[in-house]
Amino acid sequence: MSGLSSQDREPSTTSGTIAMANLQAQIDGLTLRVRGAGSGRAAPRAVAGRAALVDLLLLRGHVLARIADYERAAELAEWLVRNAPDDGTAWLARARTRATFRRFAVALADLETAGRNGVDGATVDAERAPILQSLGCYWHALVLCETAAKRRPGFTALGALAVLQAERGQVATAERLFAEARRCYQGVSPFPLASLDYRRGLMWLGEGRLRAARSWFVAARRRVPAYAPVLGHLAEVDAALGAHGAAIGLLRPLASSSDDPAYAASLARALSAAGHLREARTWSASAAARYDELVQRHPDAFTGRPAAFRRQPGAARTLAAEGSS
Amino acid sequence: MSHHLSGRRSIADPAADITGLYAFPGPERAGHLVLVLNVFPAAAGAALFSDAISYRFRVRPVTPAVVGAASAFAVGEDEYAFTFTFTAPVPGNGSVSSAQAGRCTAPGGRQVSFRLGDEQPAQLPGLRVFAGTRLGPLYTDVAGVEPVGATGKPPFLQEAVSSPDDMNVLSIVLEIDAAAMFGPGIGPLLAVVGETVTRGWPAVRLERVGRPEIKNVMSLDPVDGDLEIRDLYSAEDPFSLSPDHLGACRSRLNANLAFFDRLDGKTDWPLDDLGTHPLTELLGADFLVLDMSKPFSEHSWFEIETAMLAGRSHATCGGRSLDDDVIDTLYALLVGGVDGPRISNGVDQGARPSVRTFPYLVSPSPDPPDPIAGLAGLSAPAADAAS
Repeated sequence: MSGLSSQDREPSTTSGTIAMANLQAQIDGLTLRVRGAGSGRAAPRAVAGRAALVDLLLLRGHVLARIADYERAAELAEWLVRNAPDDGTAWLARARTRATFRRFAVALADLETAGRNGVDGATVDAERAPILQSLGCYWHALVLCETAAKRRPGFTALGALAVLQAERGQVATAERLFAEARRCYQGVSPFPLASLDYRRGLMWLGEGRLRAARSWFVAARRRVPAYAPVLGHLAEVDAALGAHGAAIGLLRPLASSSDDPAYAASLARALSAAGHLREARTWSASAAARYDELVQRHPDAFTGRPAAFRRQPGAARTLAAEGSS
Repeated sequence: MSHHLSGRRSIADPAADITGLYAFPGPERAGHLVLVLNVFPAAAGAALFSDAISYRFRVRPVTPAVVGAASAFAVGEDEYAFTFTFTAPVPGNGSVSSAQAGRCTAPGGRQVSFRLGDEQPAQLPGLRVFAGTRLGPLYTDVAGVEPVGATGKPPFLQEAVSSPDDMNVLSIVLEIDAAAMFGPGIGPLLAVVGETVTRGWPAVRLERVGRPEIKNVMSLDPVDGDLEIRDLYSAEDPFSLSPDHLGACRSRLNANLAFFDRLDGKTDWPLDDLGTHPLTELLGADFLVLDMSKPFSEHSWFEIETAMLAGRSHATCGGRSLDDDVIDTLYALLVGGVDGPRISNGVDQGARPSVRTFPYLVSPSPDPPDPIAGLAGLSAPAADAAS
């Protein structure tokens, strides 16, 4: 059990190029649409539109590693809570953005409020589980995930359970669940499946099985070629396997396009390992400056764990975006 | 938009999300049938069709099976399917959108290739095709519709607000010579559905649409909100409903149709002893019905069905034209009964009506939003945003 096998169904999904173009088109179109829907306190269409926009920005932020998208989503979510405090959707949106910035305690509080304002329990629990997981409360997260999987054993619930079991180190169980989730996939969006494969790659990376990890990162890249966290980890594996040139080739465009300094830092390490010390120092300094800036703005997300930022709950929500379970 | 965001599965990929189906006799050429399928609500920029989806029109002959109360159609076995598929764009070949190619496969396997957005229609004898971004044709008072389900108050009583004028969609427009394509023995009544279906195996029907608003307005259930019955409904073959979810769908329709009927304080649609609403069978068989022997008419949606319910002969082509005010017609029927008083949403035409020449939908909004400026405006302080 490691890479793609005969047990793993290969669903047809929309090309990553089309999906990224359409994600951009959705964001642009929704931006215009919610502006036209009015901005009064009680405009449900404005709340729904902005909440959808929050989700789309979080998705693009995760896929392209754009902290600016996360920040914009957080601003929109704050607007929602301020202007529609009786609408659970607003609190749900803010909980998602707060969880993205690893502000877990306040995210959980927002979820409680979302539940009191009309968001159904299953949705709240689906958001709560990855937060508890990130806090290390695996047992509680497991109860929530298993309940969801029993209630509706589809792609989203099984994928979330697989990710949780992978993080708990239950590799055999996780492998079975990853394959099951894959078999349940009935959508055409490539993002949820790429996210699932990415998380499967992370599991094998954590186990030190570099080639297995690489095969899942490659599978995820095949779905969404621009998937920055996947490319970043692929580079990490390539570097660990001694392919410094390949790693540098993957990281150089990411370090330029992403405002997440993790990529500049990774590039600096790869350049250094390949003997390009001067350029490595330049990227390292650039990353350090950006980290300092981000620590000031988002201390929970960046203080003491810059590399961890790429593995926050945004990826779990990408699994949930499919919703075809 | 009439049908957008209708189910979690379609929302996950906007290129699968059908915003409207239209079917009408060609206003430009007599004897031709025009079919339009729009997807991707509020498309902006370089929106593209999915290369993993088959976009499909299905046409079958129908005849009235029951007239009067509980009207229903009998659907013929012969089917004519027109399937559209698209490629992934080729990088470096002009703009992303202009690099997308498509293909229409007609009954009998005849194929015609085209390019997204090409203003020159692709043609075969008896068939022409357009696919590309167009201005979404339907106008409605979105602010007026929303409170219906939430408050139980009659629709459209507040000040009307038209939907934004510049909402684009991805359109597929097909015009066919009906006699040449279907032969002389078919019709004149035809049933039309539009579908998005996955291209892989097993093929999954992502969404289907017949009459406007059936799923969005009548299948929503605030009591069991996390049961997405619309996805179950979409997965069904509209011409051959399986018994698996039929009961749940009928229950929803019975309950919601009765709810709408009560909005004016009287009952125009009495339920039978089993609690079945007279419109449930008719609307549950979700397809557009048009009469190809009648000339093009701009406002004829549901007239064939209404005539059946009233026990009289229909007078128009039925179907659905691009500028038909279907929302008014629907609510008048549901709330006030057959020939009930008109209920207006206060918005009677779009800012830019459709045209009478192929591809009939007008060109897309030329002013796509500036996403940066737009997003900044959206998150402005409350006092500023509300002004």
